[in-house]
Amino acid sequence: MLKIILPTLMMIPLTWYSKKHTIWINTTVHSLVISLTTLSLLNYFLDISTNFSATFSTDSLSTPLLILTTWLLPLMIMASQNHLSKEPLTRKKLYISMLITLQAFLIMTFTATELIFFYILFEATLIPTLIIITRWGNQTERLNAGLYFLFYTLIGSLPLLIALVYTQNLLGSLNMMINTLIMPSLSNSWSNSILWLACMMAFMVKMPLYGLHLWLPKAHVEAPIAGSMVLAAILLKLGGYGMMRITIILNPPMEYMAYPFLMLSLWGMIMTSSICLRQTDLKSLIAYSSVSHMALVIVAILIQTPWSFIGATTLMIAHGLTSSLLFCLANTNYERVHSRTMALARGLQTLLPLAATWWLLASLTNLALPPTINLIGELSVMMAAFSWSHLTIILVGLNTLITALYSLYMLIMTQRGKYTYHINNIMPPFTRENTLMIMHLFPLILLSTNPKLIMGTMY
Amino acid sequence: MKPLTLSSIFLTLFSGTMITMFSSHWLLIWIGLEMSMLAITPILIEKANPRSTEAATKYFLIQATASMLLMMAVITDSSYSGQWTAMNKFNQASSMMILIALMMKLGLSPFHFWVPEVAQGVSLTSGMLLLTWQKLAPISILYQINMTLDLTLMTLIALTSIALGGWGGLNQTQLRKILAYSSIAHMGWMVAILKYNSAMMILNLLIYIILTITLFSMLILFSSTTILAMSNSWNKIPLASSMMPLILLSLGGLPPLTGFLPKWAIIQELMKNNNTLIPMLMAITALLNLFFYMRLTYSTTLTMFPVNNTTKMKWQFENTKLMFIVPTLTTLSTLLLPMSPMLLQLE
Amino acid sequence: MNLFSSSILLSLTLLITPFIITTTKKYETHAYPYYVKNSIACAFMTSLVPMLMFLYTNQEMIISNWHWMTIHTMKLCLSFKMDYFSTIFMPVALFVTWSIMEFSMWYMHSDPHINRFFKYLLVFLITMLILVTANNLFQLFIGWEGVGIMSFLLIGWWYGRTDANTAALQAILYNRIGDIGFILAMAWFLTYSNSWEFQQIFITTHNSDTLPLLGLLLAAAGKSAQFGLHPWLPSAMEGPTPVSALLHSSTMVVAGVFLLIRFHPLLETNKLIQTMTLCLGAITTLFTAICALTQNDIKKIVAFSTSSQLGLMMVTIGINQPHLAFLHICTHAFFKAMLFMCSGSIIHSLNDEQDIRKMGGLLMTLPFTSSSLLIGSLALTGTPFLTGFYSKDLIIEAANTSYTNAWALSITLLATSLTAVYSTRIIFFALLGKPRFPTSTNINENNPLLVNPIMRLALGSIFAGFLISNSIPPMTIPQMTMPLYLKLSAFAVTITGFTLAMELNNLTYFLKLKRITQPLLFSNLLGFFPITTHRLCPLMSMYTSQNTASSLLDLLWLEKMMPKTTAMIHMYTSTTTSSQSGMIKLYSLSFLITMLLGALLTII
Repeated sequence: MLKIILPTLMMIPLTWYSKKHTIWINTTVHSLVISLTTLSLLNYFLDISTNFSATFSTDSLSTPLLILTTWLLPLMIMASQNHLSKEPLTRKKLYISMLITLQAFLIMTFTATELIFFYILFEATLIPTLIIITRWGNQTERLNAGLYFLFYTLIGSLPLLIALVYTQNLLGSLNMMINTLIMPSLSNSWSNSILWLACMMAFMVKMPLYGLHLWLPKAHVEAPIAGSMVLAAILLKLGGYGMMRITIILNPPMEYMAYPFLMLSLWGMIMTSSICLRQTDLKSLIAYSSVSHMALVIVAILIQTPWSFIGATTLMIAHGLTSSLLFCLANTNYERVHSRTMALARGLQTLLPLAATWWLLASLTNLALPPTINLIGELSVMMAAFSWSHLTIILVGLNTLITALYSLYMLIMTQRGKYTYHINNIMPPFTRENTLMIMHLFPLILLSTNPKLIMGTMY
Repeated sequence: MKPLTLSSIFLTLFSGTMITMFSSHWLLIWIGLEMSMLAITPILIEKANPRSTEAATKYFLIQATASMLLMMAVITDSSYSGQWTAMNKFNQASSMMILIALMMKLGLSPFHFWVPEVAQGVSLTSGMLLLTWQKLAPISILYQINMTLDLTLMTLIALTSIALGGWGGLNQTQLRKILAYSSIAHMGWMVAILKYNSAMMILNLLIYIILTITLFSMLILFSSTTILAMSNSWNKIPLASSMMPLILLSLGGLPPLTGFLPKWAIIQELMKNNNTLIPMLMAITALLNLFFYMRLTYSTTLTMFPVNNTTKMKWQFENTKLMFIVPTLTTLSTLLLPMSPMLLQLE
Repeated sequence: MNLFSSSILLSLTLLITPFIITTTKKYETHAYPYYVKNSIACAFMTSLVPMLMFLYTNQEMIISNWHWMTIHTMKLCLSFKMDYFSTIFMPVALFVTWSIMEFSMWYMHSDPHINRFFKYLLVFLITMLILVTANNLFQLFIGWEGVGIMSFLLIGWWYGRTDANTAALQAILYNRIGDIGFILAMAWFLTYSNSWEFQQIFITTHNSDTLPLLGLLLAAAGKSAQFGLHPWLPSAMEGPTPVSALLHSSTMVVAGVFLLIRFHPLLETNKLIQTMTLCLGAITTLFTAICALTQNDIKKIVAFSTSSQLGLMMVTIGINQPHLAFLHICTHAFFKAMLFMCSGSIIHSLNDEQDIRKMGGLLMTLPFTSSSLLIGSLALTGTPFLTGFYSKDLIIEAANTSYTNAWALSITLLATSLTAVYSTRIIFFALLGKPRFPTSTNINENNPLLVNPIMRLALGSIFAGFLISNSIPPMTIPQMTMPLYLKLSAFAVTITGFTLAMELNNLTYFLKLKRITQPLLFSNLLGFFPITTHRLCPLMSMYTSQNTASSLLDLLWLEKMMPKTTAMIHMYTSTTTSSQSGMIKLYSLSFLITMLLGALLTII
């Protein structure tokens, strides 16, 4: 793993020693090379973990997420260029360093084998993210958003620390691979139910579960573009990843504890997606759509069948790319119209036809058009939910309906209609931006041809 | 102050603490405590103004009361057991009296009122001494006698201290008061672990001292004593100001910074002794501390306070203050967590 | 054997070529529409080979290749099912699309994005063919969603118009409701049959399972605009006329019926679903026919007639005659596409005038269009020996002679006669009488791009039914004998419709409508559907999402419950616990109290 972590860390000196004009290109190329290196991890022959070391290892669940992480760094750097163009050089470098630090933490989080180590790194990602959100966000509300982000996560995750320490004392090890072999079985006592709650709550806040999601729209809306991208694409997936990892040690309270959360997730999915229908704020809409998609992932993970795990993993990757793409598009709009209000950007198709194509593709992937990986993910989750209880199809089906509606509503509001006169003299899209969109869409389309790469451990 | 006077005062201060630490005889312990208490009083009124005089007076009164109480407890006990050794097993009453006396000296929860007031009245340097060095002597006593103390009472004190330290800090805009409250909360953590693993307490004290000194030296560097003054720090020394959030969050105990290490170790130790609820409560109330550190972070680094043009030039001037220790301290106070296996071996 | 599969694949490849060309410079030129048109024509020619082979030797096959993925025991691969339905449907769809493409070269010639329009139409066709030829549910779903999205793009082609955008969104809304049913069926089959391949589903599923079939019915109802989910179809007229032609003839809307036809092995054993299909179809066919009666927009009338015909197809499936329904799909494609093209020609000639009250006398000025419109209308009503007759008459006969719901049957018959009524109405208002359009209108229909496709389809509307019904092997045994009155009933109701309509229309010369009657209102306002469910449901759900989900729960309750309450509690405690008075007596007091308490504890 050091061959990924060390180059990532070495990007920080690269950033600080780069000259004014080469700072973007150097970091972009370097991070892109790192992400290409990580592709080799996909080449696993066995179903067990590869790249085995005592501290870091990857398996078919963490590899796609790891690759997504490394893939996203060049994209974030590319996306932030315009946003930072008016900042002094030192702050640019500081910003990039923050992104790199975050990336290094994320890489280690996804590959950590020890749960406490995982926990520490999971928390460690908070600091760079917090700094990115609150230092480089635009509105005053960002401070509030940062507080919400930090404290929701921390309140959720402190019980996890306690629970992990408890489990450590109980089992003698928190190594995920060893725990897979031990397969401890908890009794159905009250305290074990609380243990379950403590373990899951951290990740449910992070996902976020409906009711605990208030930090997400705030943070997503207020964050600068790179912050929104990494939040939507990866940090939310940390929750899903953690849940899938920790459920090994949580049987059988899983079986009965999951019910209320399943219900809440299903209900929240409808609620959040119907909130999307009435959003006027573009970034807020995308943020709420993330909540609704993640609710599906929570449902999938709680159901705990092979199909549902396949669905959860696939959906996480698919949503990571899609939501990041949507945030990038929203940002290109924002940089031109200088407002997040959708109605102010209407009719952009007339002026920016290529960007309209990206919008179209992004909306279509967001509403899970077959045969994209988004659909494979959602469909697997729906199948799993259906076999769990037939009635879920009503809610899940309703959700697909609303998802389609708000995705297209977003498309129509921003791209269709008559264009307004105040956007007459906007900038044309840069090659950088088009490249950015292509680099999001490219993996989405390519993965559709071979989705088993991202189907996780259960495939 | 003359160098000669200063050095003699400091000598008394340090030797007093040392005497307390090294001795196992109650009289010597008491003498050490008194020496350091007497020596720090002139340091507190270094800049003579009514506020610092008031602070010094308060400090003196509280410490004197505590010392008297300690002496009384020791005498009472010696009348039962006939000896003055610190390793002695106390009877219940004197044990409680000693505990109360030490809690007073450390500024723990029911007796915590003086800490912010005193810290606020004195200069930053004196405040630093007050909140770091002056903790050593009482804690060394606690370390020596931890076998005989009452667990329930200590846990209660610890929990209330952590909570009150958190709540008190929320209500402050003065940095020294905030630090005083943070010290109350940290002392609470130390007391909580004292009975189970006193070495862990020393580790916690060590890291607390490192963090507090770092923060104080930063504040001295910026010469700021209020949140408002902190918000101008990015004009003065931008690099130091950008390190500020890390130090603050480390003090709040956010992983992966140094401050997380003692918290983690303490939680682990408490869990090993089948406490689940107490570390849970402690961890959650520690978030209150984190909240006001976050607020400091916001005003220091994460927002840019509007300033006039003259202050913008400040960073170009040569810095006259001593800052050679700050980088080292900053490194120590942020990056120690990976060293935790080694540090935990030290116990 | 090889000829069969290779010509099919060749035909599909030919369709994809223009799509690939879009990445090259050729896409920028004016020749691109020709490429598209010609490649579709070629694909049509090629697809005739497998059809003829099928007709001659009854050859069917499944082409499976490119294994996509295997999840546990379920294998998904790209597989095409070339059976009775798809081999016959492909040439029909390609033929109709070919004509429509040529027509749109005339209709859309002034559009700056005509190349993109052709690309969209082509993709629309391709997705429809994917749907038709799919051998597993997933592949079918790709086509199913593909036509939905392409219809969204095409209906919303004039994206500057709010109506177009709304109509496009409506189409997606109703289609997605249907998709819930589709997904339900997929989930059910996966759970209980462990497969999405048709063959395996048919083998493993038994007749007692109503749920997946209900899902399929819902899916079909959404796609084929059956009663309840029908409002998107007339709204879809906001799109350009070629789109309406394509949408309503051979693609999209028949997909729902086609899905049910595909699943007929399951449907024919389940009486409940059959009855439901029958009733749904019957209600749709009557309701939409009634709606068509009083419309004044020429495209809307044709659109409602499509809806009515779709209802008829559902009725056919309901009486367990899927092959007849399929026959009707094929024949219907010809004359419906032509009707739309004729109305497009009229609209274009009259400077975008769609109101039939402002037409009249077009028989003189647009002779070719008028005669084609006449042929199309007659074919639609089932005039003997035109295309429509071969399927429609059989359907009515089959319905008449089957043991079935008498109400549904009589409703269907009524709708059949109404078909004649609204067809007459178009003819009467648009073609006959005196011109009512502005005199300065420049009318010209002599453009080969317009004449050729209409001519081709007109020939199709006359002969296709005869050719198809004579060539294809009868899969269901036709009713051999029946009383004369039953045999003539379809014809009789149509004639009645014609005469009635003629009389009523003639009355309009003399009669002035005094006041609007309730039945007229019902028909003209589309059964009050738009103002009740169509507006009310979205409004209600929008209010719910705004008030309940967003304001009440998210912004108020959840915010208040956790962060705000926590903040309040801590603020309160903080101000209470941290005394700022700084008085030393407080310290002493705290000391005193603690000492007393301690002493008390020790004593006790």
